[in-house]
Amino acid sequence: MSGPIGQTGQNGLQVELLSGRALFGCKGPRAADWLSGQGLAIPVAPNTWSAAADGAVVARLGTSEFFIEEGAAGATLQPLASAFAAAAVSGVYPVLREDWAFMLRGDDVEVLLAQLCNVDFVALDHARSPVVMTLMVGVAVLVVPQATAAGRQYRLWCDPTYGPYLGSTLQGVVGECGGTYRGMME
Amino acid sequence: MMYRMESHPAEWIVRSAPLVFTFEGREVRGYEGDTISSALAGAGLPFLARSFKYHRPRSILSFANHDSNLLFQVDGVPNVRGDVVPLRAGMQVTAVNTFGGLAADKARILDRLARFLPVGFYYKAFHSRRHFPRWERLFRAITGLGVVSLDAPRQSTPKRYAFCDVLVIGAGRSGLAAALAASEAGAAVTLVDEGARPGGASAGSTGIQELVDAVQGAPRIQVLTGTEAAACYADLWVALVDNTRLTKMRARAVVLATGVIEQPAVFRNNDLPGVMLASAARSLVLRHRVAPGRRVVIVAANLEAYETCMILVAQGVSVAAIVDLRPERDADPQEPAVQDCASHGIELLRGSAPYAAVAGSDGVVAGLDVAPFDVVNGADAARVRRLECDAVLMSIGWAAAAQLLYHAGGRTRFDDGLQQFIPEEVPDGMFVAGRVNGVFEPQGRLADGRRAGLLAAAHAGFGSAAAVPAVVPRSGRRPSHAFPIVDHPQAKNFVDFDEDLQVRDLENAVQEGFDSSELLKRYSTVGMGPSQGKHSHLNALRVLARARRLGPGELGLTTARPMYHPVPIKLLAGRSFHVERRTPVDADHAAQGAVWMPAGNWRRPEYYARAGESREQSIAAEVAAVRSSLGLIDVGTLGKIEIYGPQAGLFLDRAYTGRFSDLRVGMTRYGLMVDESGVVVDDGVVARLAPEAYYFTTTTGGSATVFRELLRLNALWGLDCALVNVTGHRAGFNFAGPRSREVLQSLCDIDLGEAAFPYLGVREARVAGVPARLMRVGFVGELGYEIHVAAGSACAVWRALLAAGQPHGIRPFGVEAQRVLRLEKGHLIVGQDTDGLTDPLEANAAWAVSMKKPYFVGQRSLRILKARGPRQLLVGIEIDDPARIPRECHLVIQDGDIAGRVTSIVRSATLGKAIGLAMVVPALAATGTRLTIRGDGGEPIAAAVVPTPFYDPRGERQKAPGAA
Repeated sequence: MSGPIGQTGQNGLQVELLSGRALFGCKGPRAADWLSGQGLAIPVAPNTWSAAADGAVVARLGTSEFFIEEGAAGATLQPLASAFAAAAVSGVYPVLREDWAFMLRGDDVEVLLAQLCNVDFVALDHARSPVVMTLMVGVAVLVVPQATAAGRQYRLWCDPTYGPYLGSTLQGVVGECGGTYRGMME
Repeated sequence: MMYRMESHPAEWIVRSAPLVFTFEGREVRGYEGDTISSALAGAGLPFLARSFKYHRPRSILSFANHDSNLLFQVDGVPNVRGDVVPLRAGMQVTAVNTFGGLAADKARILDRLARFLPVGFYYKAFHSRRHFPRWERLFRAITGLGVVSLDAPRQSTPKRYAFCDVLVIGAGRSGLAAALAASEAGAAVTLVDEGARPGGASAGSTGIQELVDAVQGAPRIQVLTGTEAAACYADLWVALVDNTRLTKMRARAVVLATGVIEQPAVFRNNDLPGVMLASAARSLVLRHRVAPGRRVVIVAANLEAYETCMILVAQGVSVAAIVDLRPERDADPQEPAVQDCASHGIELLRGSAPYAAVAGSDGVVAGLDVAPFDVVNGADAARVRRLECDAVLMSIGWAAAAQLLYHAGGRTRFDDGLQQFIPEEVPDGMFVAGRVNGVFEPQGRLADGRRAGLLAAAHAGFGSAAAVPAVVPRSGRRPSHAFPIVDHPQAKNFVDFDEDLQVRDLENAVQEGFDSSELLKRYSTVGMGPSQGKHSHLNALRVLARARRLGPGELGLTTARPMYHPVPIKLLAGRSFHVERRTPVDADHAAQGAVWMPAGNWRRPEYYARAGESREQSIAAEVAAVRSSLGLIDVGTLGKIEIYGPQAGLFLDRAYTGRFSDLRVGMTRYGLMVDESGVVVDDGVVARLAPEAYYFTTTTGGSATVFRELLRLNALWGLDCALVNVTGHRAGFNFAGPRSREVLQSLCDIDLGEAAFPYLGVREARVAGVPARLMRVGFVGELGYEIHVAAGSACAVWRALLAAGQPHGIRPFGVEAQRVLRLEKGHLIVGQDTDGLTDPLEANAAWAVSMKKPYFVGQRSLRILKARGPRQLLVGIEIDDPARIPRECHLVIQDGDIAGRVTSIVRSATLGKAIGLAMVVPALAATGTRLTIRGDGGEPIAAAVVPTPFYDPRGERQKAPGAA
């Protein structure tokens, strides 16, 4: 059934505060064309995401805004930022991104999410690689569900000024659910 | 008297698990599976509680989660509902509404004073303003229910969201059938019931266990017992409450199978311990093996009374008589259950009514006086006969449990045949089934449940509604009596057990003119107790209808509002998330001794505490540092928005009152924003970074609202521009004071000289090696620079600025110092010096309005307002005696009338004066006008209107190159 509400299990439920990955944002009527022109495979549908070859997350927010988080290999953003600074392309505007990032994972991660926000993550069409923009414990967040061999995990970003609040709140809730929290807030 | 019966295979209690607890300090034994009430009843205690108003002895009435008689104080927690809360070993239970214990309650004398406490006596006796505080204290002391411990720790509870295709509320016969049908159609179903087990009032009835088994074996049905559907809001989100949490359930479709609530008969002493609803007795006997008494009389007006009788007889309970309010012809004589009762030798008194219950020496019912009865003439008091008994069960009718339907916006009508309100208009996506829908026969409830389940599934996208029967016929018989109310000259015939309201109380209220349902409720308080009228609304309506010679349907019920049951505040509060924003240099503030204050949802330093300084001294020193040398404040809480595109300037021209399309690149301008009615809603600084790029700030509190409104306007106008909210992604500092230029120059890679970077200029530069946006603005009235950097670089820049300023005695300053500094300059703060009606003309900000523009938001209104003239004006004030200053919001008084208010006030060490801003009527706005301000104690405080700015009126310190 969609959105089970049962007891929270103990199997690896974890919230992790991520750090260190560079971010890039841009928007405007020509943003999609410009990013494609830089050799980046961008998602076609609004509010979906794709992974670049080096693991970078490329999220399309609405129709004309893009959010990119550097991949593990760190090969995507530097050339992109350099090209953007040099080009000053009409119709492509910078969006400063200084977000805090978190990862939520574990068998009962959707049970945890049900205590945090009102999106039914289980019912999402994960085959479409959706991006969810919603409020979580009162904070606007960007959520990307990711499939891994260990199961589904959720990567989320928030405005950095909400970061300490969101982190400490996640820490409290995941602790009550029997999970663990990793990161600076510990 | 109630007692524990022999064990039975179907009982809910576990005999092998006795639980010992205390009640009123006395040790009592119950069993696992008991509720508090069933354990107390099983222990044979004569009475368990006192009533709210008259402190009459009370015991079980409904045993159905809405019995206000049985609220207890349990382990310090007030108002625990004994009917449903499971018994635990070691519980310490005490009765509420007592002074000196249950048995020796000193307030029981109130029962003898009842005739001096008629309906509405509060309003009549205690209206004196002079004496009201005394009465208030008295009534607060007398008022019952539980005792709230102010020392109780905050209890955090985990709220959650949940989702399903079909939510079925009520796991009785029709609810179970609905859940099965919806599930079979393919829907994911959640079935909730407030009972500890599914089955509802039908538990133990023929065929019900098979239904329960089928539901529990169905793959797509989740069953939540012990869970109340407490409220239903828009878009079919239903608040589900269990012992530990609130669940916000969003369902695509909802089936209401909430059943009916049994109603009491109204007769003298119908509240004695031992008088209870028949449904309560059934539950006690079948689930908890507690017999209602050893010699039972049943007051009847429907078939269920006879079915209850046979259940009791089968369980070995002796039934002495059935007193049926209906005449012979209406009393279902051919029904098997009726004939069974007769064949068991049970005396059937038809066309009779209980006239009065009689108490024994222990306060428990010991007899029932019955009399011939008909609806038109009432009871024949001349022909009363006494039946000896120790329990009286009432089975005279029902009220629809339709509260959730009302919450969702549905409507009902009164069905005279059923004597019940039944659904008339049901919201889209909601379906009603079973007895709440007026379908009473078991097979009919099954069919109705199935119908509703299939329709709900179809609404949720599973199956088709076309093949589903539209309706199931409602009951042909009448399950509820039209007027189960018996008058008695000595009253004590209670309609409302929560508030101890008798028939004559309601009649008196009607007599006094409170003759509608809503007025009667408010005047008499009927239905306003913990059970919220579940037992009293319908009978009160009948009393009202009789008095007004109308039918109940012509009067209607009062409005039902959430919650359906009382819900502990802790469950509503959940984890109490309090969103708090922190700027990137928050930890540095803390290290520097910040004393925090909330500003919107931010936490900001009010000031920085230093050893040996008081709060006032610290604030004064921070102000002095800015005026004399150098200060640094974190202004990262300001809204920060970028706008790009060929029509960005045009957009700002429309959104703000000023003109920005002609702003030179590299310069800033004050921006004032009004709404469509011309009211000031925000302000800030707009900077032009490039021909098609602007950067602007908003107020701290207004940033989210302003950005949302700008997005709306952008979508509306369709201009070629894009907005970016960087409020949280950019930090901002104001580096201010005569030394600011030279110190900043040492960290900066551009020329800060007056020619290269004039007042109101904006520049991109590097500060301490970090890319930064600098704006030369003067909010605090000194040479100064706002420095905006990416959040990730903020700490480095903050620390570099403080380090560079160290030789000059730099001090970080907080919000309080900034308030003083800006007020010395006469700068207003939107939302503090303006209110929800202030326009720019009144705020002395007409200079920031360009009426020549073709259009801007609020322009039309401002034209009208300008023609009308201001109703108030913002002026500077100076207090005569700096030792006696008013407070913000104190009133300006002229000729005894309110003529304005103080909006800002400070004691300025710089100026050696108490200064402020006040919004006053235009007649008082001229410079030199004397004002009288009313202080805290009503004393007059003298002030005068003076020009602003108070400090550096020509602005030389912030503009002139030689300011230092």
